[in-house]
Amino acid sequence: MGGASRNERRRRQEAAAERKPAIDRVPGSGRKDNRVKVGIVVGVVIVVFFAAVYIVMNRPWGLSPQAAATYPVSVDGVVVTAGQPAAPVAIDVYEDFLCPFCERFETRNSDALTAALNEGKAKVNYHALNILDARTTPPGYSTLAANAALCAVPAGIWPAFHARLFAEQPAEGSAGLTAAQLSAIGTSLGAGPAFTQCVESNGNAAAITAATAAASANPGLQTDGQFGTPTIAVGGQKIDVSDSDWLQTVLAAG
Amino acid sequence: MGSARVRGIVGTVARLGLAAVFLVSGVLKAIDPDATYVAVRAYDVLPKLGVELVAGVLPWLEIVIGLLLLAGIATRAVAVVSAVLLLGFMAGVAQAWARGLSIDCGCFGGGGAVDPAQTTYGRELLRDAGFLLLAGWLVVRPRTLAVLSLPGRRRERV
Repeated sequence: MGGASRNERRRRQEAAAERKPAIDRVPGSGRKDNRVKVGIVVGVVIVVFFAAVYIVMNRPWGLSPQAAATYPVSVDGVVVTAGQPAAPVAIDVYEDFLCPFCERFETRNSDALTAALNEGKAKVNYHALNILDARTTPPGYSTLAANAALCAVPAGIWPAFHARLFAEQPAEGSAGLTAAQLSAIGTSLGAGPAFTQCVESNGNAAAITAATAAASANPGLQTDGQFGTPTIAVGGQKIDVSDSDWLQTVLAAG
Repeated sequence: MGSARVRGIVGTVARLGLAAVFLVSGVLKAIDPDATYVAVRAYDVLPKLGVELVAGVLPWLEIVIGLLLLAGIATRAVAVVSAVLLLGFMAGVAQAWARGLSIDCGCFGGGGAVDPAQTTYGRELLRDAGFLLLAGWLVVRPRTLAVLSLPGRRRERV
């Protein structure tokens, strides 16, 4: 079709539009107005849809494979030290396996922490506490899980077991996981019968309670006189980890 | 025309009030994504991916609703969406109450598990019912005063 005939057609359309009754173009009347509104609503739906897709693609536990832990793990009392003992930076993590914000911390930071530990840039002292013991029915899941994590060190499965405790974290107010369920998780990760026996006996319970009391009373770990989990400390002083660059900052300072 | 004017004023107050509610609650949720995730998770309804999605999208949806209401754009459609959202919130709170969970609704940030003595389900439902009333008014009478005029809306042909 040539340009001339296209122009001709356009002229005819415009002429037809001029002849249309004026009522179609009364200010504020429906159609054009509605088209703008529908456009806005459709736009919002599209934005929300892409936001959802973005979130799914970027979920931390999704598509990117988690780096395997190659760092050494040792236990001293009820403190698990992950990473090279001689690493230049020591980070203290106070956590409760029932605490949902601890799950968030783990989910957000486990990849970066694993990398730092593997590379020997830092070590992390994990203090698993039981401040939320009363939040399960029957009470005591926090203690049971903290004890099981200590059992996981001699069993040689601590990094994977620690990750699983958060990946399968029970809800506050639920029954929690039983000793048998915790044992089954450890066994599935390669732990032997000694692990099951260690979990069932819950032998570190008293020491975990004592460590919880000591951490709660430590002013360096408090915000406005309150202690909570997760608390992350460097050199005995609580640090703010809401900034996503916190680990780089800590590593750079070390 | 007196009552029409009163209705216009009531509608405007409803629209701006609801806009403020959604803007405040959306911003409070958006600035603390971890707390929002924990609050959504505490309702114990959705699987992990669902919690991630709702916690990620809800704050921005609330902010968009708030902005559209503030501007008075597509008021009826936005009011319908608000009402559906509020009914969803009320269903969430009601199921938590009925199942004996001890959570804070996290309606305006915060949220998550609380001690059983600190739950305020009745007040939360009542408040949402009030907001639902505002949304309902705007669904029935979306024409209000002080509306942002859109390009094309007032265009007159000379």
